[in-house]
Amino acid sequence: MSVSLAKGGNVSLTKSDPSLTRVRVGLGWDTRATDGQDFDLDASAFLLSEAGKVRNDTDFIFYNNLSSPEGSVSHTGDNRTGDGDGDDETLIVKLNQIPADVAKLAFIVTIHEGATRKQSFGQVSNAFMRIINDETNVEVARYDLSEDASSETAMNFGELYLHNNEWKFRAVGQGYAGGLGAMCAQFGINSI
Amino acid sequence: MAISLVKGGNISLTKEAPAMKIALVGLGWDTRATDGADFDLDASVFMLGEDGKVISDANFIFFNQKTSPCGGVEHLGDNRTGAGDGDDEQVRVDLTKVAIEVKKIVFGVSIYQAEERKQNFGQVSNAFMRILNADSNEEIARFDLSEDASVETAMVFGELYRHNDEWKFKAVSQGYAGALAALAAQYGVNI
Repeated sequence: MSVSLAKGGNVSLTKSDPSLTRVRVGLGWDTRATDGQDFDLDASAFLLSEAGKVRNDTDFIFYNNLSSPEGSVSHTGDNRTGDGDGDDETLIVKLNQIPADVAKLAFIVTIHEGATRKQSFGQVSNAFMRIINDETNVEVARYDLSEDASSETAMNFGELYLHNNEWKFRAVGQGYAGGLGAMCAQFGINSI
Repeated sequence: MAISLVKGGNISLTKEAPAMKIALVGLGWDTRATDGADFDLDASVFMLGEDGKVISDANFIFFNQKTSPCGGVEHLGDNRTGAGDGDDEQVRVDLTKVAIEVKKIVFGVSIYQAEERKQNFGQVSNAFMRILNADSNEEIARFDLSEDASVETAMVFGELYRHNDEWKFKAVSQGYAGALAALAAQYGVNI
């Protein structure tokens, strides 16, 4: 059964399942049926220290940097149209390989060139982001981007963090007007 | 050293800090990094008589009424965004000045226009409330709002109360769905 998380709410992933070592974050959307440029959504992740910043630029996992150096977070590949069923982009997180000085992982979704193409999530059909226990396939949280982030072009979906030795997930669901660039600035990435 | 109070736990301040005359209650949070309406958290205080209601409306201390009639409780000012480090709002309690009929001082925190803005504590980064001994700057208790009151919009952080001629602090940590209005109604404030 899926846990329903309200925005701002949090849930412990390892409390009910202490042996849990893998979660995945999926992003899905439908290909554009209308004419105009494709909707190209991108999932990315930031590995953050206690200070809420990346330790270095390789802690930003995205279409041009598909894996963190130690391998705890990997991106299975860019999808530029939404072609295919279910999750169109996936991030795999190995909890037991996350470096000790990483306190939090933030999962982000953005529209590539959303501003120049004048696109927002509301124009994309069936766009969602979700986090899943990779061992049981139980969905922990899901966010409906088309419906609830309709005017946004970038959003912090949620955060995975260590709290009292438990891995927890917080549903953030907050947008950034400045797109991926604004997020990078917030998390301390020098350039993209 | 800060003492971590479990919900409902209480400690004697005069035993813990026998010389304490001034308590400081601090509320802090981070400014919003994402777009949307600012997160505007408010600290407020209810000074209650024996019956658990405010002595009078003037004993509800908040952003529009910053000092109690006895002068014992003073709100040091409203912060509407969370800008700044450490405590963003503070309430100063001079225990020696609190009117004798005040039996209990309740500290609340609420999100301004939470319902309209569809906000809760969990959406706010690093939101906390704490009480410290202002004489020594020692933290007596702290509550992590972002983590442990994530889906609430208002809560009672804790209360200072008189017990056998000494002041004690109890960590209440209970949320209210109805924001500040629900808190005010609970304690008999006419708003």
